[in-house]
Amino acid sequence: MSDDTQRDEAAQASSRGIGTDEWVAQHEQRIATSTGPLGAIGRWWLGLPRGFQWIIPLAIALLIPFATSNDYIIRIGVNLGLFLLLVIGLNLTVGYAGLLDLGFVAFYGFGAYMYAFVASPQFGIHWPTWLAIPMVIIVTGLFGLALGTPSRRLSGDYLAIATLFFGQMFLVLAVSSDAVQFPWMDEPIDVTGGANGITNVDPFAFFGFTFSSVTSYYFLLLGLIVVGVVATLRIHSSRQGLAWRAMGEDALAAQHMTIPPVRMKLLAFAVGAAVAGLAGSVFASVQLGVFPSTFKLPLLIMLYAALILGGMGSVPGLVVGAIIMVVLPEVLRFPDYSNWLFFIVLILGVVMTLKRWKPILAVFAATTAIGFAANGIFLALGVPYLTTAEWAEGPLAPVLGAWVFMPEDRTLYGNIAFVVLLFAIAWMTTRSHRTRLIALPFVLWLAVFTWEVRLLIEPSVTRQLLIGALLIILMATRPQGLFGKPRVEVL
Amino acid sequence: MSTPALSLIDLTKRFGGLTSLDHFSLDVATSEVVSVIGPNGAGKTTLFNVITGVYKPEEGKVLLNGVDLTGMSPEKVAQRGIARTFQNVRLFLNLTVRENIKAAMYGRTKASLLESVLRTRRAKSEDKENEERVLDVLSFFGTRLQGYRLDQPAYSLSYANRRRLEIARAMATGAQVLLLDEPAAGMNPAETKEIAEIISRLRAERGYTIVVIEHDMHVVEGISDRVIALDHGVEIASGSFDQVATDPAVIEAYLGRGAAARK
Repeated sequence: MSDDTQRDEAAQASSRGIGTDEWVAQHEQRIATSTGPLGAIGRWWLGLPRGFQWIIPLAIALLIPFATSNDYIIRIGVNLGLFLLLVIGLNLTVGYAGLLDLGFVAFYGFGAYMYAFVASPQFGIHWPTWLAIPMVIIVTGLFGLALGTPSRRLSGDYLAIATLFFGQMFLVLAVSSDAVQFPWMDEPIDVTGGANGITNVDPFAFFGFTFSSVTSYYFLLLGLIVVGVVATLRIHSSRQGLAWRAMGEDALAAQHMTIPPVRMKLLAFAVGAAVAGLAGSVFASVQLGVFPSTFKLPLLIMLYAALILGGMGSVPGLVVGAIIMVVLPEVLRFPDYSNWLFFIVLILGVVMTLKRWKPILAVFAATTAIGFAANGIFLALGVPYLTTAEWAEGPLAPVLGAWVFMPEDRTLYGNIAFVVLLFAIAWMTTRSHRTRLIALPFVLWLAVFTWEVRLLIEPSVTRQLLIGALLIILMATRPQGLFGKPRVEVL
Repeated sequence: MSTPALSLIDLTKRFGGLTSLDHFSLDVATSEVVSVIGPNGAGKTTLFNVITGVYKPEEGKVLLNGVDLTGMSPEKVAQRGIARTFQNVRLFLNLTVRENIKAAMYGRTKASLLESVLRTRRAKSEDKENEERVLDVLSFFGTRLQGYRLDQPAYSLSYANRRRLEIARAMATGAQVLLLDEPAAGMNPAETKEIAEIISRLRAERGYTIVVIEHDMHVVEGISDRVIALDHGVEIASGSFDQVATDPAVIEAYLGRGAAARK
């Protein structure tokens, strides 16, 4: 919207006299025109021609397999694709309809097993893919409908408990159904393969083309995600989408406004389950097997984390949330990458909280100065240290080597710094804005010191720690998620 | 006499030992405005809840244009043509003004989820119709809910505008009978006057049949064709505003036996 029309609107509003809530009306525009470096990036991104916000990420995703021949990266891409497909399904049930479904992963597993049943040597059945996939989608959708029936009477926490139970029950059944005795059979039969799962599942094959490489599945998933994203965007303001969102806001009011609650709840469950079932069948064929351990609680938590992190109901949020939850842990396996990531997140965090150029630059300058001062103090005290060449690696080495003091006894100094850092952060959160600003450079230096001295050398622990810290900071500063709109419960 | 738009026959609703509605009967003619008054706990909101299907009455019937709606679920009642507003405003706060109104049109549209995703001809034409209806419904409230406010979330609206939006949302369901539960509660005198005008215009311009629960006697006086006074679930007086306002039983219900005697 141009400035002129905005001003006209405002003029009109004030001439109307009564009930002018211009300030409220312009609330979102004020956010959009935020100052500082992030505001500039945001404006550039939103200023791109219509559609480019989607075309650019899609183009990047399409080019990745051509840019690299590294199978590992493509495999992460496939994992991301599966994960994103699940998040898209979960978003319908949780993000739109507001049904807290903690049994969601069971639908994923159910779909995977259903595909394996009809396309593996387990029962000697090998359905063609064009028949197997629709069957899996429909059957999983019906399964979702069945599990959705408690939602007729339950809502909120109670529904969460009931669905969590179903999810766990599925897992137990999957593990223990390797010797099922049917009354009309002499021998018990192996249905799910127990803890070992089902192996040698058929890959997808459409009309002579077999999906044999990981890359082929990458493109298949990319296609499915494009369909899923477009569908989600269309559902958002369709009559069903509006009905779901209205129900999530106020179920009783929605019912009085012609929206049938039971029907819409069951539809949300069934559609979410069907999407998960589709993802499950892709998973079974890309892995060439199904194993029950995949469908445990951590996956559910990761899915919810992605949904909450990105912002419920926001499509860009789903994509970014999924990328963070899948790609981040992989990146953090390598000290070199995690070093980069640490500094990017740190700098980004400071930029996001301070917002304006001047304090940002002042804080970074002060942090640099404190680093050199600390070096001087450590040297004066005669603490034994390692030279740059002895510890620093990678492209950041020359900078960090000169700036970070590396004591010989990394464990001792690292542990002390870590404890002090935790206390400093806790102390800082209770102080006034001014005090926080003054303390920030010290805390930043302490964080870098702890990171370089102690954490970087233990990636397995650091991964969890860093992701956890990121989630806490993000939820504290943006409870609505990265791309979610701020919600109001009662006002 | 033609069939009344809304006909309540012998409605009784009990909560354990408490009888909230006791053999209550009422006929409302098409395009009539009936006000229901009564002290707190008289059973006014229970009456609305029984009509709209939140509660199933123990006895009695609710007829809309002669069709029995007793025991239907709220969404069915709304689809058949009785829409309501709430005493404590219940908007979809995080939906925009436009979305609030479009959500209430669910019962008037038919496109399936698949059609919505594929944007078939039916889904598109229904959506276009809905957009026109949004503007039509909102034009009824002047400029208050139009322009930039159309795409603002409902929580950003002022209290009075929220009340207006709730009426607009009820209109959007396509109902011909509106049940308004204290539409002027919490409003200042100017806004109260405007609400009274809106209710009069709803009937005059759009032919709605309206039942209003209201405590503000100026509003009741200004809009009602007929006033019903309720106490302990029983109709204690009915007739024109002047008749009901001077009825000893009504004064007793509000102020106690002594006040009625002094009068």
